[in-house]
Amino acid sequence: MASKEELKRKVRDAIDQRAEEIVRVSKTILDNPETGFREVKTSRLVRDLFAEAGIDHRSGLALTGVKGEIKGGSNGPSVAVIGELDSLIVSEHPHANPETAAAHACGHHAQIGMLMGVAYGLMSPEVLEELSGRVILFAVPAEEYIEIEYRDELRRAGKVEFLGGKPELIRLGEFDDVDLAMMCHTTSVAEEKKLCISGTNNGMVAKRIQFIGRAAHAGGAPHLGVNALNAASLALMAIHTNRETFKDDNTIRVHPIITKGGEAVNAVPADVRMETFVRGANIDAILDANRKVDRALKAGAMAVGAQVKITTIPGYLPLKQNATMMEMYKANAVSLVGEDGIGYRKHGTGSTDMGDVSQIMPVIHPYVGGATGLGHGNDYMVKDYNLAVVTAAKALATTVVDLLADGASGAGEVTSKYRAAMTKDQYLKLMRGLAKEELYDPTE
Amino acid sequence: MSTRNELKRKACEAIEKRKNELIAVAKMILENPETGFSEAKTSRLVAREFDLRGIPYRDRLALTGVKGEIKGGRGPGPKVSVIGEMDALLVSEHASADSKTGAAHACGHHAQIGMMLGAITGLQVPEVLSQLSGSIVPFAVPAEEFVQVERRMALRDQQRIEFLSGKQELIRLGEFDDVDMAIMCHTASDMVKSTFVVGGTSNSHVVKYIEFIGKGAHAGGSPHLGINALNAAAWSIMAIHANREVFPESETVRLHGIIGHGGESVSAVPSDVRLEWRVRSATPEAVARNSTKIDQCFKAGALAVGAKVKITTIPGYMPVRNNSSLQGLFKQNAQALVGKDKVVQMPPNRNRGGSTDMGDLSQIIPVCHPYTAGAVGAGHSKDYTITDYEVAVVNPAKIMAMVVIDLLADGAAGAKEVLEGWQPAMTKDQYLAFQRDRAQVVEFDGGEV
Repeated sequence: MASKEELKRKVRDAIDQRAEEIVRVSKTILDNPETGFREVKTSRLVRDLFAEAGIDHRSGLALTGVKGEIKGGSNGPSVAVIGELDSLIVSEHPHANPETAAAHACGHHAQIGMLMGVAYGLMSPEVLEELSGRVILFAVPAEEYIEIEYRDELRRAGKVEFLGGKPELIRLGEFDDVDLAMMCHTTSVAEEKKLCISGTNNGMVAKRIQFIGRAAHAGGAPHLGVNALNAASLALMAIHTNRETFKDDNTIRVHPIITKGGEAVNAVPADVRMETFVRGANIDAILDANRKVDRALKAGAMAVGAQVKITTIPGYLPLKQNATMMEMYKANAVSLVGEDGIGYRKHGTGSTDMGDVSQIMPVIHPYVGGATGLGHGNDYMVKDYNLAVVTAAKALATTVVDLLADGASGAGEVTSKYRAAMTKDQYLKLMRGLAKEELYDPTE
Repeated sequence: MSTRNELKRKACEAIEKRKNELIAVAKMILENPETGFSEAKTSRLVAREFDLRGIPYRDRLALTGVKGEIKGGRGPGPKVSVIGEMDALLVSEHASADSKTGAAHACGHHAQIGMMLGAITGLQVPEVLSQLSGSIVPFAVPAEEFVQVERRMALRDQQRIEFLSGKQELIRLGEFDDVDMAIMCHTASDMVKSTFVVGGTSNSHVVKYIEFIGKGAHAGGSPHLGINALNAAAWSIMAIHANREVFPESETVRLHGIIGHGGESVSAVPSDVRLEWRVRSATPEAVARNSTKIDQCFKAGALAVGAKVKITTIPGYMPVRNNSSLQGLFKQNAQALVGKDKVVQMPPNRNRGGSTDMGDLSQIIPVCHPYTAGAVGAGHSKDYTITDYEVAVVNPAKIMAMVVIDLLADGAAGAKEVLEGWQPAMTKDQYLAFQRDRAQVVEFDGGEV
């Protein structure tokens, strides 16, 4: 029986051998960006790669997800390695799709490369048979919580229930057979170095807001109108007046956009729409801030006598990472990039649906460097593919070895200490409880 | 029997003779400014002047009002009141401001007491008075400026007044029950080339006292435990501005206020913020409509931050209805005194934007509320100064004396004519019922929605 270190060496060597190939996969996806639940080409590419590698898989999960499975030599727990398929919308990004403006401004394309790297590494001769359990190679849709209107229509049409890929996959039972999950995200923050050990992340709810006023000639008869844009702008101001009540350690983020601000400048705007997230470090903090945002929105409506329709959509839950698994990952990271190459991130104020998965099973969501520019900006570029794809793949794959080798003793250590924050059923109940649609009419 | 013109000449001569004395009285009031319902010194001064002239009077009416009566020699008849307002504003930067209270005559009311005394000086000339029927009621009234709402609400709570302005309260007390018509004259600084302006109207209004109740907390250490009442108030003011586009110009809507209490210390989340606010519009109906809108803004401010708000709506003023006959007499006599082209008549719907409780009185009895020149600087500002006391005090005194002669001479034929054509907009009882109905307290908890 090979030692863990021997297995890891073989895995790393195998990944190195296919380094060029997996980088090419990432670059192909970079040039074919697709937003969440629309990752048709990306999904097909993963299916082809899985088929070519002889990986059993199912596809069309949560519309575009692809779930592959490779089995170890004996039974045991299953570890999911996740790669996210979707891009953002950043029309000014150099690799943006000129028609859809979709662009990989968050580096997800690197994740599919690393997913394939993990597959190739673990499938190398004499490795898989030494593992107990299964490795789920999971290409998942729609991590970026965008195009809310589009996705909400998908929801209303019954095509999805939740607007993020992983929550939807949890609902569909596609995580029922997964015991532990991991992934690695790119970062452009220099201080986070080559491989970054990260901590918690904000959770969030999403909101669609519609202010309904009454149109009138803005010059001739403004007194006959009810200005929905004034209601909306007052509501924004009202949100700001609440900011001082947000506690530092709750890291609340409220950042609305106006998606429709009126139709013609000479008409009193009667239909004004906004979207916003309400993010926070824990569920109670999110709910408290969300209540304040609702109040502010209603105040805007009340001030001018408009109506406001507030649709609150469950978003993502805060991320908590499993310390035992992260220790294993860190040891593997140190052996790849040295102590000096390790960066740390305590709490991220963005959100990820890996947070949802983290509520029901042990997960890690570390970061890998190699990117430059601002995340979600037009200058976010993966520059060092060897680091962002190849090194990250090695770090993940060798952590899988730690978990599943030696009769999956590593995974046993993780699961024996772990207590899930909630069951899947509790999770679904919580998420469904967050969904709310309300029409507020101050004149009633 | 003398002709009316002879009577007027005699009255004007008497006023002219004592003009320095009248101007000195006005200047003495200027130097001793007192705000509404606090006009103690001014009230005493008026009483002393009445004593000197042998005029019987009652004082402390609506706290500080002084009401005299001078009977004409021709027996009973209509009573004509000549009104002078006693109160000052609060403009601490005004050159004649009281250094302790900040009170200042930035609206020229001190001139009104001078002109009221001047008018009766002319009318008390024996040859004049003997020819008049009925009586003249010189009336020094308190509190025309609707300010210091908090203080006046305290007076109301002590049941020392019910209404928060002088004439409103005097109407309630029945002090206008025996008055058939009233005239006064206000100074103005925006007269361009004219000496007198007659006609036009003024805004109706309600007054609001708004208390935002939040929750105090250390503003640095634990702002999340506080509810910021100042944010609620500041946001409400923005919300009011957002509504301005819905007010038609024809309603001459004026929405303005001050923050009386804006927090106690900068290091604490303000939990008690209080505003005085004013909702003016051309008609009481528009005031009611716009008042509701403004209440919504204050409630929305409370809702925006989860504070409570208590909105006390206080009955304000009614638009002035200038009686055309009285106004006609004032105009004729003014033209006779200063020349035809120096008197301008405004159309009845011309609204100056401000408000006066002479509007309230005008609902019940015939009044006229013309303006005289003699002042410079923006009204209610530190720059408002009477620069020409002959114009501001002596001329209006002569005109008002002449108007009274026109009304009460010849068996009060003039006054009877005014009364014959008169239709009150409301009776005193209707007026009181209407105003009491406007008094409202609304409480709203923005944390409960």
